[in-house]
Order: sequence, then C-alpha cells, then structure tokens
Amino acid sequence: MLPKKELLILELLVSEGSMYGLQLVERSDGALKRGTVYVTLGRMESKGLIESEQETPNPAAIGLPRRIYHPTALGERMLRAWTTFTRAVAWEVKP
Amino acid sequence: MTPGTRLLKIAPLLFNERFIATVVRPTIADLQSEVAAAGPDHVKRLRARCRGYSAFWMLILVAPFASWSDDLPNIAAGRVAVGSAVVTLTVMTLGAWTAFVTAAGALIAFLIHAWYERHPSEIAMPPDAPWRSPQINFSSTDVAGNVGGLIFVVGSVLIVSLGLPSVFWFLLAGTIAACFVAWGLAAWHSRARREDWTCAGRPRRQLF
Repeated sequence: MLPKKELLILELLVSEGSMYGLQLVERSDGALKRGTVYVTLGRMESKGLIESEQETPNPAAIGLPRRIYHPTALGERMLRAWTTFTRAVAWEVKP
Repeated sequence: MTPGTRLLKIAPLLFNERFIATVVRPTIADLQSEVAAAGPDHVKRLRARCRGYSAFWMLILVAPFASWSDDLPNIAAGRVAVGSAVVTLTVMTLGAWTAFVTAAGALIAFLIHAWYERHPSEIAMPPDAPWRSPQINFSSTDVAGNVGGLIFVVGSVLIVSLGLPSVFWFLLAGTIAACFVAWGLAAWHSRARREDWTCAGRPRRQLF
C-alpha cells in the first residue's frame, strides 16, 4: 500500500519533474508540511521510490545547498501499478 | 550570522549523520534560501525565519516517531523525551487531569495502531458501510465487529470516563447493558443463521 503523502509526492515528481522539498510543499496545496516533508522524503528514499542529490553550490549564494528530488524507475512503476489498481478497484465498487 | 547556524550545531546532539544529511540540512537550507529570497524587507525576512524555525522544531518533535528512523541513536530515549515534554507542557498549561487523559488516549491510539499493523487484512470499516463524513463524535465512526472494534469501543469508553468522572457509573451501566444487548443480538443472529432466515429479503451479509 502506498500512503497518501507518498502517492502525492510521486505524482508531483512524475508529472512535474524534479523538485526541491519546499517546491513540493508549495505545490501540494497544504497537504505536505514544511516540518515533516523531509521525513516523508527520507522514508521514500530508503524505500527506493525516489532519489536526491545536492544542487550545485552557487558561490554567490549564502547558506547550505538544497536537495533536489526525482523519482526512481521503481517509484514510477509503483505509481503506475497503484494508479491501475485503484482504478480497477474503483470500477469494481462503483454502484 | 547566517540563520540556522545554531540549529546545525544542535542537530548532531540529537541525530545521526544520515538523518542530518537527508532531513535536517535540507530543512535548514530551505530556511536560509527563503530568508535570502526575502531580500531587505524586514517583515518578509522575519516571516521566513518564523516558518523555517517552526519547521525545524516540528521536525525535532516528529523525528523520534518517524518509522524509518529506527537507526537513530537512542531512539527510545528520544521518544520518551518528546513524550515527557508534551505531557509536562500539558500539565503546566491544562492541568494534571487533562495530561493524564491525553496520555491515556495516546496509549490507546498506539494500541489500536499496533493491532491493525499486525492484522492489516482486517480493516476497521465494514466493506459495505455507506460513506459518511468524519465527525467529532464516536457514533459516526465505523468500526468492524472484531477485536479492533472492541479495542476502539473499550478505549472510547475509558477515555470518556477518565475525562468525565461524574458519568463513570452511567457509562459502566451503559456498557454492561450494551454487553447484554450484544449477547442477545449475537444469539438471535446465530439462530437466524441456522434457520436460514434472511430478514425480509435483506442480503445475508448485511445481517452479520
């Protein structure tokens, strides 16, 4: 089973391409929170659904480089399988 | 000083290197980039700082309970520390009784969660139950007629009786009466099943 937040993150990453954590929070319309998004992303990374890399440090920028996230092949397959499954179930239970 | 520098010094005391790299540093990087993007406007910078710091402290609270963070050092100690801090804050702000009820509620929530983790095939909601919008009352919560449902009912009664001690005897009498009614219904359904009775044409699966 794919938790709702992980599903949302995978959908956003697959449909809109690689994103920073904060961009995911902004695009999620309040479904993802700043304080917990990286915990979810870390869990997804340990499951192999997404991967991340540090952005190239800009010498002019102040502070730490951010991490950019993108879906793995496994993550994309998982999203496709889950979407197919939920559509099939929705069709089965349709009155 | 760049915002978040002190937080980066605190982080190694609480988390391991992997957690810092994947969770803490990106959170602080967001704080710093937002503050930088706010420009010279003091109000915008202050708002960016508030958002970033509150995200960090929220992270401190949820990290010990993150399911994949079991390799964090002293995870049990972290959970106890966060739990104790929440209970202490509740005692200080809302009183000992509220803190006790909150702790009891949390304990029962963990119990129900643990039970469903072990029995994932037995869903809490009956499969043929009509959808209803969630409401803040127990009567609107669908639970299945299994051990999970029993835990939910007993837990709910316990929480209400702890929160409202004056209705304890009423709840106890109600629970005992409900047990008798349940026993009667079970016996009735059992007899109906033996007689292949379908309750005015209703499908059998809706009876049990």
